[in-house]
Amino acid sequence: MSTAFLPRLLRATSFRLAALYVGLFAISALVLAAAVFLVTRSAIQQQMQDRIAAEVVFLREEFRTGGLDRLLAVVRARGRGESALDYLVQDSKGTRLAGEMAPVRGLRTGWATVEVSEPSEDEGKLQRVRELVTDLGGGVRLAVGDDLGRVADVEEAIATAFLWTMGLAALLGIGGGVLLSRAFLKRVDAIARTAEAIIGGDLARRVPVRGTGDDLDRLAGTLNRMLDRIGALMDSLRQVSSDVAHDLRTPLSRLYQRLEEARAYARSAPEYEAAIDGALAEAEGLLGTFSALLRIAQVEGASRLAAFGTVDLSAVAEAVADAYRPDAEEAGHHVAIEASPGIVVHGDQELLTQVIANLVENALRHTPKGTRIVVHLARDGAAGARLSVEDNGPGASAEDLPRLTHRFYRGERSRTTPGNGLGLSLVAAVADLHGARLRLEDAEPGLRVSLLFPALPPSVVA
Amino acid sequence: MRILLIEDDKEAASYVARGLREHGHVVDHAATGQDGMFLAGGGHDVLIVDRMLPGLDGLGLVRALREAGIKAPVLFLTALRSIGDRVKGLEAGGDDYLVKPFAFAELLARVNALARRPPLVEVRTTLHVADLEMDLLKRSVIRDGRRVDLQPREFQLLEYLMRNAERVVTRTMLLESVWDFHFDPKTNIVETHISRLRAKLAQGGGAELIHTVRGAGYALRAPTPDAP
Repeated sequence: MSTAFLPRLLRATSFRLAALYVGLFAISALVLAAAVFLVTRSAIQQQMQDRIAAEVVFLREEFRTGGLDRLLAVVRARGRGESALDYLVQDSKGTRLAGEMAPVRGLRTGWATVEVSEPSEDEGKLQRVRELVTDLGGGVRLAVGDDLGRVADVEEAIATAFLWTMGLAALLGIGGGVLLSRAFLKRVDAIARTAEAIIGGDLARRVPVRGTGDDLDRLAGTLNRMLDRIGALMDSLRQVSSDVAHDLRTPLSRLYQRLEEARAYARSAPEYEAAIDGALAEAEGLLGTFSALLRIAQVEGASRLAAFGTVDLSAVAEAVADAYRPDAEEAGHHVAIEASPGIVVHGDQELLTQVIANLVENALRHTPKGTRIVVHLARDGAAGARLSVEDNGPGASAEDLPRLTHRFYRGERSRTTPGNGLGLSLVAAVADLHGARLRLEDAEPGLRVSLLFPALPPSVVA
Repeated sequence: MRILLIEDDKEAASYVARGLREHGHVVDHAATGQDGMFLAGGGHDVLIVDRMLPGLDGLGLVRALREAGIKAPVLFLTALRSIGDRVKGLEAGGDDYLVKPFAFAELLARVNALARRPPLVEVRTTLHVADLEMDLLKRSVIRDGRRVDLQPREFQLLEYLMRNAERVVTRTMLLESVWDFHFDPKTNIVETHISRLRAKLAQGGGAELIHTVRGAGYALRAPTPDAP
């Protein structure tokens, strides 16, 4: 145990909880003890009085049937016996006739608690005695009493028993608290050490999970998933930075060359104008790439979850197909839609619109004249939805398929077509945000891109 | 028009202010939210407000202006591009939203549209431009007495152009309001629809109504009397 352990222990949540429980337990035990104590004492006293009263009735009866001599004989016999009661029979002058208690002048009848000294017992110490005095007639008084010390003994026994058990319980409670806290602190320390290691640069470190499924384990699991997510975001950020640096060099250098050329060779206003127009187009393309990147970053950062609502995917798909149809027909493509009506998903309408638009644009751009493009939307499984955009064009090669969603990746055949290689990256990011699975497959012939949306959460349906 | 420009970036402010002045507008400029708040009481026709301002930010400023009873239309300028931000801007009392970087023609078209925006309560069931007549209830279009059959999207496109007649509307404005597309499609959706609409409107002869404004967008204009 280090020197800092004690103060840390006292601050530990688990220890404080244990201490609190011990305290509460002690208070409730005290209340219980007090109740038991009072009830027991009153029961014992009642019992004692009943016994005394019964003895008095008996002796009175002896006196009535056998006279004073019989009474004295019985009292003397009782005094020798093991009967625990104390007796006194005195005459009208206050002289003791029998019994061991001291005679008292003017002994009053009824219940009383007196202090007597009894030389035969307890070395003459004062005893508190509960007695019942009755007048038997002719000035003869009978007192029968019992030592209250016996009640005190019982009281003491009860109190002692409670003190012992409470002491033991408190000890166990505090000891258990210490043990629990140490186990807890050890695991908290492990989490802290992991965090320190990550701060120190070891980003691959994860909080140990014991597999018991307890609170700390769940916390550790959540922390680890958070770290994984951060790690993935960091990786994608790193990837993006290098992609951006790499892929923006080309258009930037083209822009630079155009301007440089204009400066060196342009002589007339139309020449300058042409150079400026070219540079503007180049800058516009760059800005487009940047805004596509930003949009992907935003989607991946999930900062758009706030804009989620119920989206009529059927209507969105119809609208997009409708928007592109004239343009596609002009370019010699056919755009068809096969959508079951009223398919609803939980999502961001603006992003979903853009995703379908991206997929249709991709199909338009990468396929030859006469290609048929089908936007297909149907219920899938229990309540999920499957959206796919399919063409019967040349499709993508097997090695291209898994890489199509990478940023800036362009298939072998499409290097020369316009585009920034970000369309499907955005589709992938939006799919991820919506918890939808993205599938790219060979439509034999052509390419089929499908999004499989999960069923609506019950809260949204209601 | 008197325009108040609240923008902290000097270069952006002078670019916008110069362009607006060249088009005959009077421009007041404030570089901070506080200055903007102070100047805003001056009866401007349109306010152009940057979202990110030192001191009092654009959202807070517009909220405060609206609370102070200043009703001039507000166009937000922002470098942020997300639907959440756009919605927040409109909720705070902004009327339109433009993401940086923007073409100056886009800004000009939107400022013009804002300044002449008809009151929202106005209920019109028919629109007229020259010999073109649109019945919004019957969803029918008549040109020079002849019925013109339009697809629903073409109808919406024409409706937007007619509501903004004599003004330039940009491709982005059309994409946002007719298609609800808040991104830039790489294909010629707008161009194709415009050309189909033109063809349908020209079926019965008559002058060209939809004009292409180079580098800016389109405008629906009644032919001038001296034109053939």
